[in-house]
Amino acid sequence: MGAVEGEAGRAPRIGRKMKTERLLWPGKGPSAFERELGPEELERMVGLTTLDKAVGWAQSSSIWPDTFGLACCAIEMMAIVSSRYDIARFGAEVFRSSPRQADLLIVSGRVSHKMAAPLRQIYDQMLEPKWVIAMGACASSAGMFNNYAVLQGVDKIVPVDVYVPGCPPRPEGLIEGIVRLQERIKAGVPHAYEWREVAT
Amino acid sequence: MAIAPERPRIDPALLRGGDVYEGTRIPSPVPTILEVSDEIRATGDVLQVNFGPNHPSTHGVLRLIVDLTGEEVVGLKAVIGYLHTGFEKTMEQKTWWKAITYPERIDYVAYQNNELVFVLAIEKLLAIEVPPKATWMRMLLCELNRIHSHLVYLGTSALEIGAISMFWYCFRERDLILDLFEMVTGYRMHTRYFQTGGLAEDIPIGFYPEARKFVDWMPQAIDDYEGLLARNAIWLERTRGIGLLSADDAIALGQTGPNLRASGVDWDLRRREPYLFYDQVDFRVPVYPNGDVYDRYRVRVDEMRESTRIVEQCLDRLEDMEGEPWIADDRKVVLPPREELHTSMESLIHHFKIVTEGYRVPAGEIYVPIESPRGEQGCYVVSDGGPKPWRVKFRAPSFVALEATATTMHDALVADLIAIVGSLDSVMGDTDR
Amino acid sequence: MARGRDLSYDDVPGLIRTTEAYGETTLVVDVAQLLEACSYLRDERGFNFLADITPTDYLGWPSSDVSGYIGTPGGRDINDPMTQGLQALPEEKPARFSVNYHLLALRSEPARVRVQVWIDDGVAVPSVIELWPTADWHEREAWDMMGIPVEGHPNLSRILMDDDWEGHPLRKDYPIGGEPVRFSSAE
Repeated sequence: MGAVEGEAGRAPRIGRKMKTERLLWPGKGPSAFERELGPEELERMVGLTTLDKAVGWAQSSSIWPDTFGLACCAIEMMAIVSSRYDIARFGAEVFRSSPRQADLLIVSGRVSHKMAAPLRQIYDQMLEPKWVIAMGACASSAGMFNNYAVLQGVDKIVPVDVYVPGCPPRPEGLIEGIVRLQERIKAGVPHAYEWREVAT
Repeated sequence: MAIAPERPRIDPALLRGGDVYEGTRIPSPVPTILEVSDEIRATGDVLQVNFGPNHPSTHGVLRLIVDLTGEEVVGLKAVIGYLHTGFEKTMEQKTWWKAITYPERIDYVAYQNNELVFVLAIEKLLAIEVPPKATWMRMLLCELNRIHSHLVYLGTSALEIGAISMFWYCFRERDLILDLFEMVTGYRMHTRYFQTGGLAEDIPIGFYPEARKFVDWMPQAIDDYEGLLARNAIWLERTRGIGLLSADDAIALGQTGPNLRASGVDWDLRRREPYLFYDQVDFRVPVYPNGDVYDRYRVRVDEMRESTRIVEQCLDRLEDMEGEPWIADDRKVVLPPREELHTSMESLIHHFKIVTEGYRVPAGEIYVPIESPRGEQGCYVVSDGGPKPWRVKFRAPSFVALEATATTMHDALVADLIAIVGSLDSVMGDTDR
Repeated sequence: MARGRDLSYDDVPGLIRTTEAYGETTLVVDVAQLLEACSYLRDERGFNFLADITPTDYLGWPSSDVSGYIGTPGGRDINDPMTQGLQALPEEKPARFSVNYHLLALRSEPARVRVQVWIDDGVAVPSVIELWPTADWHEREAWDMMGIPVEGHPNLSRILMDDDWEGHPLRKDYPIGGEPVRFSSAE
């Protein structure tokens, strides 16, 4: 497994060889964390596992997104809150309006240059630990808009953890993105701001 | 420079009420900025608040700079442009076929109406005849999209005013509509189903029974919504008499669609300047006289009912049209069927030319208006005869709807501000393009 | 207010020429008399609704992709696949910019008309905000996107672009921007 194991209490640093289950993606399926610990085992093992794992489990199961709906992807982001694609099952139901209270920024929609400054301000106002999901093609790479008005990929100004492709991605796609982020958190993958080269 | 108050009165044959207040409330000198008056500023009690681009209830990235004395709004200025995507310039770089993908993302809630207006403009310039099956199906999808748009409006506006459970009910029906879209076009939003000359693909088997199920269920769902809101004391208190806009002011400010019909003006392009086959279906145009938030809500809920009836009538016609062509026959514009490519050299050449270079639209300029769920969506296209558009401009109803923010904020409180901005139902993609 | 179909627009002040195409009427008007023409249309002919103001830049008109004449005198016949149709070269434009005002007579017998003025770079158009207050944001957009100065507008500032943006993006000599993309067929 990765370098996380056996290093109790210390966050992994840049440069260490990380092997995370989902990044290598041998195939879809439950993450190694879930295979390792079933729900019954957690009770038994929580006293034995590292503090990191327990903290990661708590953080991932109650990740609170910020209401940052910009364009079409925002409508699909609203759909994951709705009853059919219920995101409350994953703990992410509470969309906070204030970035101070949120820990996940789902950039959903195209970011124009005029909006880039408020986006960075919102990101700066969020408190660590925080994660960013770039939802949709426009947030990942400006999508079909290769022009003067659109920021070519939101990762030019904020460090992104998960990219969700689609135009707009299906609600299931965004839920997959959130679930993968949850697995990254549980596996101890460092936050994007610790290792991406964007100004953090 | 003062705004000339001697504007022509509106044709009384179109008025159903609408004399909501005396005179005009459009601010002057700038019609879209409510200026703080000098007496109020002299009291020193004015607080300027920024309802920034990131706000849960500004329906996207609208920025309102609001001056408040206590809870009363005394000054207002709307700043837009946070979602400017450069659609018009980007579409000039793409061929006509590829450019059809773009208009959907402009008004991303009523996406098929945007596609429709652009495709209608190209077809008019090309003078190409669209088979009736395609027209009926386009009408059906656009009316479903109207229901979808009004559901999103109702869900989000009610959520902002505090009727939180409406959001879940409306999105439940919205998912039913998106299932229908997915069945026909393969995708939930931004379907890219309309093609120059008709539809991209034939209507799949199994669509009609599913659409019938939806049409049978929808009136009851709308009854549920009305049961929750229409006589709810809190809803009435928060929406009656708020955000008044008289008929004359609405016309002066260029409002169309439900905003205009709620101010007592009987104007609906589907009735007055019919396009597609709207003159062959039977539907009512709801018009309410009071010009407030409550009437805009009622117009949209009634429009959902009427749209369901239109969908039903389209289904009746379409079920008899099995086997008819769904796209025009003109090989210079429309891709030939794939079987033909094996046998006909001309088809192969046409396919090649259309895919690589694109079809050419004769030189000319045209303005096509349709009634989108927000109002008059117009597309102005200039072609120079080449394979790419020379100029495309979308007359965005949300852009114009936001011009009415300053006028409707007369004597408004902060809580009313949220209700009014929600009732104007503007989508920021449409505003900023 | 005129009733019935407006058949003739010959008495519009400043009218240079009238064109009819695709069921639409375009009135080309001299920019110096634009305000009189618009007041006449609004007050005498009932065009009480301004739908849209669209500026267009004709720099480089027509584009290099336009082919000239090919075809038969009879035009295109789709039953005879070898006829290609008469496609004349698009006509010369009188100036670089055209500003189009789409007017609608919102009454029981509706009518639409397009008022078109042709101006060169730097020439200002008068503001029609006094006649139709909705022109406020449309004219700001014309200034922001196309650089068309509007005279008499009380608040002519950038609306869609950043306040300190330089250049007018929809002009034909303004680059499309964006990033270079590998393996893309689009130029």
